[in-house]
Amino acid sequence: MAVLDLSEVSKSYRTHLSVRRYWILRDLSLSVREGEIFGFIGPNGAGKTTTIKLALGLLFPDGGTVELFGQEASRPEARRHVGFLPENPYFYDYLTGFEFLDFHARLFGIRSPGRRRRVLDLLERVGLANRADRQLRLYSKGMLQRIGLAQALVNDPRLVILDEPMSGLDPIGRREVRDLILDLKASGRTVFFSTHILSDTEMICDRVGMLVKGSLKAVGAVEDLLHGETPPYWEVALRWQGREALPCGRVVSCREDRLLVRVESRPDLHRLLAFLDRPGATLVSVAPARRSLEDLLLREVRGDVVPAAGPESGPQAEEEGMRHAG
Amino acid sequence: MKRARAARTAGAPLAATAGGLILLAALMQMRLDAVVRAGEGPSPLLYLPSGRYLKVVSLGFDPILADALYLWSIQYYSNYRIEDRYSNLEHIYKDIITEIDPHHLDAYLTGALIMSAEARRPDLALALLDKGIERNPGAWILAFDAGYLCYQDLRDYARAGAYFEKALRAPDVHPQVRRFSAEMTNRAGDRRASLKEWVAIHQTSPDDYVRTIAWNHVHDLKVQIDLEDLTFAVAAYRSRAGRLPRRLDDLVPAGLVSSVPLDPEERPYEYEPVAGRVAYGGSRVLGR
Amino acid sequence: MPGRILAIALNTFREAIRNRILYLLLAFAVALILCARALSLMTVGSEEKIIKDFGLATIDVFGVLTAVLLGISLVSREIERRTVLVLLAKPMHRAEFVIGKYCGLVLTLLVNTAVMGLSFFGLLLALGIADRAILLAVVMLFLQFLLITALAILFSCLSNPIVSCMLTLALYVIGHLLWSFDLLKARITSEAGRAICTLLYYTLPNLGNFDIKGQVVHGLPVPAGVIGWAVLYLALYGTGVLLLACAVFRRKELQ
Repeated sequence: MAVLDLSEVSKSYRTHLSVRRYWILRDLSLSVREGEIFGFIGPNGAGKTTTIKLALGLLFPDGGTVELFGQEASRPEARRHVGFLPENPYFYDYLTGFEFLDFHARLFGIRSPGRRRRVLDLLERVGLANRADRQLRLYSKGMLQRIGLAQALVNDPRLVILDEPMSGLDPIGRREVRDLILDLKASGRTVFFSTHILSDTEMICDRVGMLVKGSLKAVGAVEDLLHGETPPYWEVALRWQGREALPCGRVVSCREDRLLVRVESRPDLHRLLAFLDRPGATLVSVAPARRSLEDLLLREVRGDVVPAAGPESGPQAEEEGMRHAG
Repeated sequence: MKRARAARTAGAPLAATAGGLILLAALMQMRLDAVVRAGEGPSPLLYLPSGRYLKVVSLGFDPILADALYLWSIQYYSNYRIEDRYSNLEHIYKDIITEIDPHHLDAYLTGALIMSAEARRPDLALALLDKGIERNPGAWILAFDAGYLCYQDLRDYARAGAYFEKALRAPDVHPQVRRFSAEMTNRAGDRRASLKEWVAIHQTSPDDYVRTIAWNHVHDLKVQIDLEDLTFAVAAYRSRAGRLPRRLDDLVPAGLVSSVPLDPEERPYEYEPVAGRVAYGGSRVLGR
Repeated sequence: MPGRILAIALNTFREAIRNRILYLLLAFAVALILCARALSLMTVGSEEKIIKDFGLATIDVFGVLTAVLLGISLVSREIERRTVLVLLAKPMHRAEFVIGKYCGLVLTLLVNTAVMGLSFFGLLLALGIADRAILLAVVMLFLQFLLITALAILFSCLSNPIVSCMLTLALYVIGHLLWSFDLLKARITSEAGRAICTLLYYTLPNLGNFDIKGQVVHGLPVPAGVIGWAVLYLALYGTGVLLLACAVFRRKELQ
């Protein structure tokens, strides 16, 4: 069952003074299944945040339908089981961490006896239990992100929507968010998040949707998207103190006894690895330099910049679109 | 597309309800206005503190405040339903508006007009104008207005003349004021001075029309003065000689006139020896 | 639903209480009220009237300023700075947000007006010129603040903080000059002109309805009808404005 379903959704933008419309999304169709982690990727200005806002009833589509758990997204009840964390969130500065979560809990109608317990648990879970009495004004960015995540989970939602949850976090923070998302999936929740940090996406997403200039260029499991992209080469880092030449591959760089060798085929790789199975040789690492999502994305983005006829395409339109979009 | 548009118009019932409520509120407003009108007490402005206090409180906006009050006062005094509206004329114009802005000429003029023409209190009007004249010596119109008031309502020509003279001291005074002044001098009784003024006007005016007017006045004044002088001389002759002179020329050797004046048309004045009356053969231009 | 409205209202109140603007305005107001005594030295013969006039005028001006500035800062700025996104993503009607904010502001203004009113009344008591009718005038001023706050919220839903601030203040000024529309109508000769005057007179908010300062200071009786109809007017007009705000906010795109 689709927890989030966008069907032929279009959204345009028009500044107050001009008549021209800028299309942010065009006939976007997207479906998120229960229990999956869906990564929504794309360059800045592609329309990711706009899509998320449409999903939450914060914006209204020009055309098409948006449904949450089978209900129209603009209806308040559709969001009962949804948690949301916006990008660069602004919260009420003057509230303390506890008050903030308590307020949001009240908005869900969570009643007094259990509410306090729930808030404390959440604070514990995001690691802010000892900062609960400080005003949000005094929180660091990482802390704000964490309290934001706590807020998104206050109603124990079935679907969690996160807009750039890892932006501005240090690697530790990013790791924590990744773990949280995986935890959520483990307990049966669905997570939909947008990001432009592709490495994280590859690691944790079940499915990925790639949005470029308002259209979905690719959607599916990561492996499927990169299917058929056999690695063109491997990079093998090794230490070889002997004098014998390596059986195959090309030395890319060399420093004292450390070598970086490039091997072009699988049989060659095996040959090299077998060679290293002798005294004086140490294998340091093998890195398949396969096509990644990043390559795919760059290809999709660059591929569209081939100019077509008509006033709406071209670099200026792209600029405009990016400025007004998500 | 259709579903989106349908959702958009769903806000219409809310807006319609809002409109309905505002309509009902308008009804409440009408009832409120009715209550207020029924119990219409003295106007709130009557309880304004003094103008000097207002000037301080207005924080530099005194001209605007004076204007606003002036505008209000016009509306107030045009409202014939308020029966006792004249009871605070002086307070409003003299103590408040002109205190806030002493150079607000309209306030003086209109206030004086209301005071004299509608409230029939020329004394108040003159007091107001006096204040204006004192604070605005260059504004001849105030003195002129005061003079005109004395002339028209009080028929106090001497006082009017004094005001007109004050007005004449201003550098850019309207030339007609001089003519008024000259005429007031006449009305006040000093014909000779009046004649002098009219002669001066005649000589200095560049305008044919004005010169004609001046000449007319000079003409009649001369006749009046001459007749007065001659009648006086005839009477003096009679009391001295015991009889009326036979001819006007007889007055000269008697030393009562230095010479017998001719009338403006250069004819001798008519003299009727039996009754001793001197008369002018022509007709007075201004018919007086 | 009422639970959510209450939660938002209390949160708004909490936000207002922790906002420095409120305290600055309040402190200034109370200081000015107490200075009324000094001002009365500048006049002759009507000290009591000056103190009462000045005190009521101060409460009026500062109440309006607080209503507008708080209303704009708590609603318009919130919408502009996107703090509102997280709230509206909850399962609640947008109208609950509007009404909750309004209730929170009303609560704040209540406290605010009470502080100003009581310190003023305290001064009057100390000077021996206290009169219960003054409290009635303060209550009527409070009603005026309620209407202004509703308008501030309506404009906040329509545009950015600065514009909505200007519009609200403009309507405040117009609202106090509506009595002149009647006079204007008498002088306009065209039927269309008169109709427009009448329409404007009844559609724009008539804030003069809540102004009984003059009568109270002079000890004149205030007819019960004046209070009664004014309250009804506020109830209907204010609700209308809030409903309009809800309607506008309902379809507002939150970029």
